[in-house]
Amino acid sequence: MSQNGKPKIAFFDFTCCEGCQLTVIDSLQTHPELLDVVDIVQFREAMSEKGEDYLVAFIEGSCTRESDEERLRKIREQASIVIALGACAHLGGINSLKALHPLEDVRKYVYGDKADWYETYDARPIDAVIKVDGEIPGCPIDRDEFIACVKALLMGKKLPIPDYPVCVECKLKENVCLFKKGKVCLGPITRAGCNAICPTYGASCEGCRGYITNPNDDSMREVLAEAGLSVDEITSIYTMFTTYQVQQKMKQGKETV
Amino acid sequence: MIANKSYVTLADYGSVDNQLFMPVPTRIKKVVSLNDLNKLFTLELPGGMSLDHRPGQFVEVSIFGVGEAPISITSSPSRSNSQFELCVRKVGDLTSAFHNMRAGDIVGIRGPFGRGFPIEKFRGKDILFAPGGLGLPPLRSLINQVLDERAHFGRVIILYGARNPDELLFKDELKEWGDRKDVELLLTVDKGEENWKGHVGVITTLFKEISIYPRNTIAVTVGPPVMYRFVLMEFLAKGITEGNIYLSLERRMKCGIGKCGHCQINNVYSCQSGPVFPYSEIKGLEEAL
Amino acid sequence: MSVTIIQKQDFPDFVNRLLSQFRVSGPVEEDGGYAFRVIENSDDLRLDYPTTILPPKKFLLPTKETLFEFDKSGNGTVQAPVVEPRTVVLGVHTCDLHAIKLLDRVFSTGHIDPNYTLRRKQTLIVSIECLTPCDENSFCKSMGTLSADDGYDLHMTDVGNFYTIDIGTEVGEELLQYAKTAPATEENMKKLNAVISEKWPRFPYRLDFDISDLPSLLNMSMKSPLWEELGERCLACAACTNVCPTCFCFDVRDEIDLDLQHGQRIRKWDSCQLDEFATIADGHNFRQSRALRQRHRFMRKGKYILEAHDYLGCVGCGRCARACLVDITPVGVFNELYRQKEVGGQS
Ligand code: SF4
Ligand code: SF4
Ligand code: SF4
Ligand code: SF4
Ligand code: SF4
Ligand code: FES
Repeated sequence: MSQNGKPKIAFFDFTCCEGCQLTVIDSLQTHPELLDVVDIVQFREAMSEKGEDYLVAFIEGSCTRESDEERLRKIREQASIVIALGACAHLGGINSLKALHPLEDVRKYVYGDKADWYETYDARPIDAVIKVDGEIPGCPIDRDEFIACVKALLMGKKLPIPDYPVCVECKLKENVCLFKKGKVCLGPITRAGCNAICPTYGASCEGCRGYITNPNDDSMREVLAEAGLSVDEITSIYTMFTTYQVQQKMKQGKETV
Repeated sequence: MIANKSYVTLADYGSVDNQLFMPVPTRIKKVVSLNDLNKLFTLELPGGMSLDHRPGQFVEVSIFGVGEAPISITSSPSRSNSQFELCVRKVGDLTSAFHNMRAGDIVGIRGPFGRGFPIEKFRGKDILFAPGGLGLPPLRSLINQVLDERAHFGRVIILYGARNPDELLFKDELKEWGDRKDVELLLTVDKGEENWKGHVGVITTLFKEISIYPRNTIAVTVGPPVMYRFVLMEFLAKGITEGNIYLSLERRMKCGIGKCGHCQINNVYSCQSGPVFPYSEIKGLEEAL
Repeated sequence: MSVTIIQKQDFPDFVNRLLSQFRVSGPVEEDGGYAFRVIENSDDLRLDYPTTILPPKKFLLPTKETLFEFDKSGNGTVQAPVVEPRTVVLGVHTCDLHAIKLLDRVFSTGHIDPNYTLRRKQTLIVSIECLTPCDENSFCKSMGTLSADDGYDLHMTDVGNFYTIDIGTEVGEELLQYAKTAPATEENMKKLNAVISEKWPRFPYRLDFDISDLPSLLNMSMKSPLWEELGERCLACAACTNVCPTCFCFDVRDEIDLDLQHGQRIRKWDSCQLDEFATIADGHNFRQSRALRQRHRFMRKGKYILEAHDYLGCVGCGRCARACLVDITPVGVFNELYRQKEVGGQS
């Protein structure tokens, strides 16, 4: 609690584009009353106030270095509630794509001949390192959903993240289905909550919010194959955001990509 | 005049019952903690209103901002007028929010809903109650009504099983019932504890302890879905007929008024025709058990 | 009922006059598809549309609506919401008209639903006769919904240069004060009859059995292996139920403002195809498998709803078939069950 009695929420960023924090700032434009109910502590500030406690720590970005882990554990100690904010923190996200290539190649590609100066390892979601209490999915997150989540946290409720697919929102908006236009879409297995924003603008859903609890993978793959995608293309659309999850499954021998 | 671009409210149509979805603000009078997960709430409707429920019925409880959830009424109509009791287990958002409330706070109530136990058909009969775990709270309403009208019934047998001694609910009342000469109470727990001197084993193991006169017995069970198949087998093995076996089927009752579809068991809206059913009525329903 | 005509050239004027008096909605073209939208101009109307993605049901049972507003401070007062103004829905096809008759039955009997009933009273329906099948997915002729005797305020038929108009209700008749109409002449009636009798052969019967046999067919099919097959294919995307004019299952939730005091209880469309639909608070799902959910859906369409409300739960509009990415269709399912029964019967 701050001195004014408002609960403190803090934002921390790891490896990401910071698009989610931009969305948070955006949400303050549409919901300025958010500042009436919480104190937002910027991350640098937050880190300097040692021993300070937060009601909620929102963590943006994925963990990509050994040294991130220590920082994450500190945050976990200071915050009552830790929420992964956005696809990178939630899933490992786009950052995990590099795991599909040998690490040395990635380092050379990204850092050129300075590769050896930087420590890096396979990108992973925050919950691979510390316990998280909830996730706000999306790349970037959805503004209204973020506000709804803050309200839920203040009321001590579960985060109101749907467990049904994007197609539900897409149909209610009366979009013409992309499959009818010769395109493909991961809407049938992707967790809703973005209000089907991509199909609404004619772009394929790429699954940035992760999948619903019980996706029918086999059938989805068949639908994509029937739409003309090769096995490789299916793999790459499938792993755009969930490389980490797919690789974990492979390690457990549950799935072949 | 039909042409009219203005907006209207429900109040403009007097003939429509605009209260259907609107909960009645109801004050919490008392909260008693039964164990880690279960609390007993005594509630009072405003203006001396009476709930007028039957044992086995449920109400929809609202906590504004959290939502609404069905909760069975645990008090007996014979003991409550404007006051009634709900036993609330903390399992989701609504029940967690409910657990945070104190005496004096307000919750919203709609109902009562559903078909309760047809107690008038039970008169003159021996009654065998077999609640399992959380099945006691809904059944307690019926048990207490039967006990309050004790002279109208034959034997009263209660077989109550829980996972462990801590999960046995309403311990004071269990003691009262156990002390009565006109009640046969047998308790069991799946797993005993140090201080537990009683019977250990699942509820079905109690059946061999009793003998009944099946033609004059009404059997009633409420418990988790997995329990029903086994308890039903025991009832039938004792020779009780399907029409004399009653059970209550929990479903996701969203509206309570036969519209939303969530509570359907095959073609049956359990919020309307249930949650209490004679076994003979649901035997043919694939989705019932 | 008496038949009136309105010349096509006079129709835009009728719509524009309605627009000055009512909220008017009708089919419009959007991105290569069609949807019922509130229109601002008669030019937007596409009365020759094949079918829409969502049915006009959405004007009576909105995808999301407020049941009441609450204020947690004090005693937690609740207040009824305001509902839309009088709305004329133009161009409703007869399959959708039959679906609305079912919805009226569901929401206006038993516990009368205030929001639905009020919206219904605020809605005027001007339907239009289909003269060619909307596409290969429809099977309205098999379901007996390719024409309608009632359920509309006005019913139009496109007879070339003019529309004939059947007056269904007094309110409908009052609506005609905004139109330049003339009583149908004998010549007009001849043309109308010709158009109607020519239309029927254009529509195929697509079910292999008579619709009156559907409930008993389904009754026999509880244990059919077909449900498992459907469950394997089904994506549980709920597209089929969300586009269906006769689906009326809903969810009820609360939304609250940031002050955590004021908010609304809302109702929104829900679907039996989704995981959460039959799941209770402790996580137990009473219809865990997609196969059982598909079975439930088709049982409702062809049997359960009929038993509860005296109308079939499917009007043959074909929307679900159009929306399904894995080709699960009522015609396919019902005919396959029929085939299985015939084969079973011979063995
Ligand atoms: S466009 Fe995508 S999300 Fe929309 S209905 Fe089609 S598959 Fe589903
Ligand atoms: S439609 Fe798909 S890719 Fe687009 S925001 Fe939603 S979940 Fe992400
Ligand atoms: S089940 Fe399919 S065909 Fe039947 S009414 Fe619904 S959407 Fe139309
Ligand atoms: S299903 Fe039949 S009645 Fe409905 S729109 Fe298509 S053709 Fe017209
Ligand atoms: S539209 Fe098809 S895939 Fe989607 S839930 Fe319905 S039957 Fe299943
Ligand atoms: S609870 Fe809504 S129909 Fe039964």
